[in-house]
Amino acid sequence: MIVGVGDMKVSNNPEVVLVTYSLGSCIGVCIYDSTVRVGGLLHYMLPEHSIDHVKERHAPCMFGDTGIPFLFKETYKLGAKKNRLKVIVVGGAEILDQQGFFNIGKRNYALLRKLFWKNNVMISFEDVGGNVNRTLKLEVGTGVSWLKTSGNGMRRIG
Amino acid sequence: MRLEQIIEEMDLLEAVTPSAHRLLQVVGDPKSSVGDLVEIIQYDQALTANLLRICNSPYFGLRNEIHSVKQAAAYLGMDKVACLVAIGSGGEHLRKAQDGYDLHEGELWRYSVASALITQDLAERYAEKHVSLLFTAALLKDIGKVILSRYVKELFREIITAVRNEGLSFMEAERKFLGIDHAELGAKVAAKWRFTQAMVDIIGNHHSPDRVGNGDLSIPIVYLSDCICMMMGIGLGSDGLAYRYYPGVAERLKFSDADLQRTMIRFREKLKAVEELVNYSKGE
Repeated sequence: MIVGVGDMKVSNNPEVVLVTYSLGSCIGVCIYDSTVRVGGLLHYMLPEHSIDHVKERHAPCMFGDTGIPFLFKETYKLGAKKNRLKVIVVGGAEILDQQGFFNIGKRNYALLRKLFWKNNVMISFEDVGGNVNRTLKLEVGTGVSWLKTSGNGMRRIG
Repeated sequence: MRLEQIIEEMDLLEAVTPSAHRLLQVVGDPKSSVGDLVEIIQYDQALTANLLRICNSPYFGLRNEIHSVKQAAAYLGMDKVACLVAIGSGGEHLRKAQDGYDLHEGELWRYSVASALITQDLAERYAEKHVSLLFTAALLKDIGKVILSRYVKELFREIITAVRNEGLSFMEAERKFLGIDHAELGAKVAAKWRFTQAMVDIIGNHHSPDRVGNGDLSIPIVYLSDCICMMMGIGLGSDGLAYRYYPGVAERLKFSDADLQRTMIRFREKLKAVEELVNYSKGE
């Protein structure tokens, strides 16, 4: 199952592999509960929905502040429990010397940290920032996750 | 020695089919007229068929099917038709896999079409007179990668190590190890294909907006579109986002944070349609 830009997928089907390609300044959040074998993958593009309330209603996964809670809630519906979740965060890259408002990657990550801190969510693995693009993959049946960064091959991260 | 080889290879790169070449020249030339364009398209069945296929793709969501070039111009406006003609004619080389940049077949083309469409969006916003010139330049700006790919592959470890450890941009590393970068090589290709000087300049400076004077917005617009494309991760290869950012560009274009985010949102909405447009322009 491919997760596009501003999209999210959750599943408890052991046959399913969730994958999101080419994260630039966007962030990919992958969560997995190994007890019930439920996984979810979110690919959000911008930090906050306040930029466009109309779009937020139709596409909450486009924004971190609406997409992240939505991802967790959707996995809870399939039996996942917050304290059992393995949480992986990748993406948030930046163009060289990118500063200020243009640095969406950094802003996307700052928003996530704030949200996780407030809600007491621990990150199990993260690979954030830099000038690389990333692909993230999760095998729902086993919980094994993979990361590919530009210039390198696919490697197992969890 | 390697540089000589690269230049030699550039000389051998054919400019697609003769009529597609002529079309790209006309579309990218601000002095061209609607008549010049129609003149070429209407006598070439393959071009006409390709243009109509793209016009009738879901990207435009037109209620009625378009059957002629004239009708296309009436429905979409000549400038849009010119951009479509560029999509229909420009993909031959860019559609191929570029191993040196870790781009599979179709990925560089997807990136090119996406950044051309963002360029079009911005060019209209800034009321640029020659939208089709900017569009075509954005579409063809990475033509240098087609030649350089093989050489980048040979020296990839050296290039990527310089990017990671010395803080060079990918383009600066290309230049360091190959003696030329893909933008400069692209400009040489454009000149050899006898595109206009404006087009040659945009292609050659699409990563270096700091080199141009204040009056000209075309290079900043194409540069900004490229940045947005990179940030959205569309068709990125092994060079990733390792290009320089020039904060002065957004200031010069008075492009705010809200403008940036809204452009990304608008374009994200179109992504599925872009995919269809890319597939429709295969001419299959």
